[in-house]
Amino acid sequence: MKIVARFEIPYYQILDENSKLVSELPEFAKNPENLIKLYRLMVLNRLFDTKAIALQRTGKMGTYPSTRGQEAAFVGVGNAMQNEDVFVPYYRDVGILIQRGVKLSEILLFWGGDERGNCFANNKKDFPYCVPIGTQLLHAAGVATAINIKKEKRAVLTVCGDGGTSEGDFYEALNVAGVWKLPLVFVVSNNQWAISVPREAQTASQTIAQKAVAAGFSGEQVDGNDVIAVRERVSKALDKAREKHEPTLIEILSYRHSDHTTADDASRYEPKGTREKEWTKEPVLRLKRYLESINVWDDKKEEELAAECASEIDKTLQEYANTPPAAPESMFDHLYASLPKIYEEQRAALKHVKGANHG
Amino acid sequence: MKIFDLPDLGEGLAEAEIHEWHVKVGDTVKVDQPLVTMETAKAVVEVPSPQAGKIKKLYGNKGEIIKTHSPLVEFEGEHDSPQKDKGTVVGNLEESTTVLDEGDMIIGAPKQATLAVKAMPAVRALAKQLNVDLSLVSPSGPQGQITAEDVKKHASLQTNHSTKTKMPGQVEALHGVRRAMAMAMTHSHQEVVPVTIIDDADITHITANSDITVSLIQAMIAGIKAEPALNAWYDGKTLERCLMKDINLGLAMDTEEGLFVPVLKNVEQKNPEELRNQINEFKKTVKARTVAPSELQGATITLSNFGMIAGRYATPIIVPPMVAILGCGRLREEPRVINGKIEVRKIIPLSLTFDHRSVTGGEATRFLGALIKKLENKA
Amino acid sequence: MAEITLVEAIAQALAYEMRKDETVVVLGEDIAKNGGVFRATVGLLDEFGPERVRDTPLAESMIAGLAVGMAVEGLKPVAEFQFMGFIYPAMDQIINHVSRLRNRTRGRLSCPVVFRTPHGCGIHAPEHHSESTEALFAHIPGLRVVMPSSPLRAYGLLLASIRSPDPVIFLEPTRLYRWAKQEVPNDGKALPLDTCFTLRVGTDVTLVTWGAMVKETLAATELLAREGISAEVIDVATLKPLDIDTILASVEKTGRCVIIHEAAKSGGIGAEISAQIAERGMMFLQAPVQRITGYDTVVPYGRLEKYYLPNEHQIVNAVHQAMEYA
Repeated sequence: MKIVARFEIPYYQILDENSKLVSELPEFAKNPENLIKLYRLMVLNRLFDTKAIALQRTGKMGTYPSTRGQEAAFVGVGNAMQNEDVFVPYYRDVGILIQRGVKLSEILLFWGGDERGNCFANNKKDFPYCVPIGTQLLHAAGVATAINIKKEKRAVLTVCGDGGTSEGDFYEALNVAGVWKLPLVFVVSNNQWAISVPREAQTASQTIAQKAVAAGFSGEQVDGNDVIAVRERVSKALDKAREKHEPTLIEILSYRHSDHTTADDASRYEPKGTREKEWTKEPVLRLKRYLESINVWDDKKEEELAAECASEIDKTLQEYANTPPAAPESMFDHLYASLPKIYEEQRAALKHVKGANHG
Repeated sequence: MKIFDLPDLGEGLAEAEIHEWHVKVGDTVKVDQPLVTMETAKAVVEVPSPQAGKIKKLYGNKGEIIKTHSPLVEFEGEHDSPQKDKGTVVGNLEESTTVLDEGDMIIGAPKQATLAVKAMPAVRALAKQLNVDLSLVSPSGPQGQITAEDVKKHASLQTNHSTKTKMPGQVEALHGVRRAMAMAMTHSHQEVVPVTIIDDADITHITANSDITVSLIQAMIAGIKAEPALNAWYDGKTLERCLMKDINLGLAMDTEEGLFVPVLKNVEQKNPEELRNQINEFKKTVKARTVAPSELQGATITLSNFGMIAGRYATPIIVPPMVAILGCGRLREEPRVINGKIEVRKIIPLSLTFDHRSVTGGEATRFLGALIKKLENKA
Repeated sequence: MAEITLVEAIAQALAYEMRKDETVVVLGEDIAKNGGVFRATVGLLDEFGPERVRDTPLAESMIAGLAVGMAVEGLKPVAEFQFMGFIYPAMDQIINHVSRLRNRTRGRLSCPVVFRTPHGCGIHAPEHHSESTEALFAHIPGLRVVMPSSPLRAYGLLLASIRSPDPVIFLEPTRLYRWAKQEVPNDGKALPLDTCFTLRVGTDVTLVTWGAMVKETLAATELLAREGISAEVIDVATLKPLDIDTILASVEKTGRCVIIHEAAKSGGIGAEISAQIAERGMMFLQAPVQRITGYDTVVPYGRLEKYYLPNEHQIVNAVHQAMEYA
């Protein structure tokens, strides 16, 4: 008997729960401006998130999945991407979308039940949200394949949750990424819950990162509450994808400090006290304390930031509220490149629906 | 079958020795032809060929042992080098020698000429029940379809109102010619929009023995020359009319049986003698009921000389698809003022009915004017 | 010019379009080196290379999902699913993404893919290789569903499908793949989508069909002609969106309609056509619309297959019934 294969899964952390550096700062982090940028994004994310939930609770928006406590996991990822890369989201990645030119009002429109929320005005390449779990990973593989065929130097990044890693499409995507050498980074946002199913019930695998080994490439874990580590590791993975056409699986460990969506009630299944315990590791405060410790942040700056975010969110709410409702017949307007004759009668019937606002 | 394995030569023997080959590579063999004699522990056995074919390979030489169910002989098959590509991974794809020719393939639907009758199946069934010809019914439905009401209305006209008239005395159902007349007149009444213009013609110059009918016919020819619109067919459903080149004149004839209208074909090409002959011929055949149905069809205009016994002016009925009929009443003598003096003249009354859907008043009067001119010998 | 079979016409069309349009990429299982199990993609790897002609891992959902990503990124993927029975793992990708990407992004993104797969029974294959579930796709808004029935139409309709900006499910009748040959000029001319084709002009009855059943329908037409019954034959070709106008024009003329499909009866596309004729052509009907179809059973294995597949005599009987009805 001989051992024919082994594997190792690294875990990365740079800024620990006490806001202390436990590894060397990467290059980009040595410039405090870059860290402040990350901080501002996380604060905006959190404030927007709170407002979104409020909108849903007051009947102004539909079901919405919160990102509370996961700000670093997404902001760090988005910050590492280049403009020419392609992003294929799942549905909780607000922190990435806002760095890809997607407007906050577009995010509200989508969850508010309007397809125009997917018609990103300032982003023509990224995919929209994906509700059928895990199916987006194959789209990302397809984009990466096309990039290879066109011999371009771009990378693709896609995200799914820990639950998504049980779907067949997850394995099919990993497999083809490995065997076709796709310039593709898989980010698994492991916030420990798939609605009510905890991570331990999802898979017997010790880590999710090691599933990459089965597909022939490397996987790693990163502390999802450490925005510096997230940003650094994703950046390295994207470089590897772009330069060497090697995919990577990054398992970002965080915690879901909310219900699955506004329609869920986590108190039915979440063990009491867990959330409070996990909150001690939360990412926004962690970075704030570090910034304060290197004297680049203070209460005054905090106030100013809060005001800026409030103002931006207000503008967003205005935009959202003032968006005229879509005409009913718009259901037909993008069904095909040009509507076949046989459906014109149905479209015409919608046009004359009484009581609808024809915006 | 390509490779023939050594069969069990008896009682589960495990092997046998090649005793003698009876064939060599390249030989063509028939079914049951001896291939080889094998020696077993018990006997010497001849092994016949399981199939017809050509020997490709022998799996041993004389004296060598072959195990039971091991290859013995290989035959050449169609699957020989190189293996033909079957072009499938499961099953069998049928290949034929059929060559398709689709020169007639039309993208979409072929062009159609006529409009079909529109009626719901229930309405069609009702029409059948009530003996109504749907092609005669005018549709009143919102999509141009014939409704049940349309059918019922048409049927009631055919069968004398929905409530049967109580007739005292001997009731006879109409048959044959009388029945045809009743239906034709009803149909005409439903469709045609008739206007009758009456006038007189002074035919004093025509001698007593002359043929009025032939003169009338020639006058009608003159009228049609002046106004072809009266020698036409009109289709009320499609709003189409067809001006006819030939003048096929239907001549109404009264008999015991009823009204017959034989058709004098191409009167414009016949001289008076020919016309007279044909009219006499028709009189005979109509009376004898031997006139052929084809001779009663195809009229483009009709003449009804009804004034033999009585009657001056009339409102004669047009049978569609024609658009005009001329009625001629009884000849009479009448005082007229000619060049300031009163003279006794011979006058015949004329009644022209035209279908105002297709013919205008102007056309009708011009026709009549030309006709009278010709009759009065002033043409 | 040589006469070619339906599957050769497919290969001809693919090669033509790949030469003309370098964004066309072909992918599927066994399609590159092997040229496809039915040789529909034979020669493409040699001419266009492994980047554009890809053997994929064995994963149908993956094939469909890859195609979505490739299409959004500017390519025109033509993906093969080895048999219709194996397209089912891709249904999620097809229904949830392929069909609706344009709609849900209000035109920002679109999905111009072609998914080809062999359709139907009649080749004595093992189970699962004889599916005819085109109605599943015809029900999905945003898709086009196309089924050729001759080499000429296979060539022209495949070109049209590849050039269409919308997703097309392209179903190829397996038992017609090599059945007959036809002259198919390699001129790159596409046939129009969204229209029926009238194969025979007639006056007594309208026979509506598609795919391999065109063969039996034309055979039935010959039998009927000998009896003096003149049948008009319509090949629907584009099952979705349906060109009902051609069918209605024919029914207006003949007053009788028989629909023939090998797919199971209930919920088949024959039901859709029948409903539309009832809505808009009822006034011309002399007899009820009939459907001659496969039974509402699982397609049987090879031995019973011939009892499942409708035949020309059933079609002729249905026409007789229609003629004698009114």
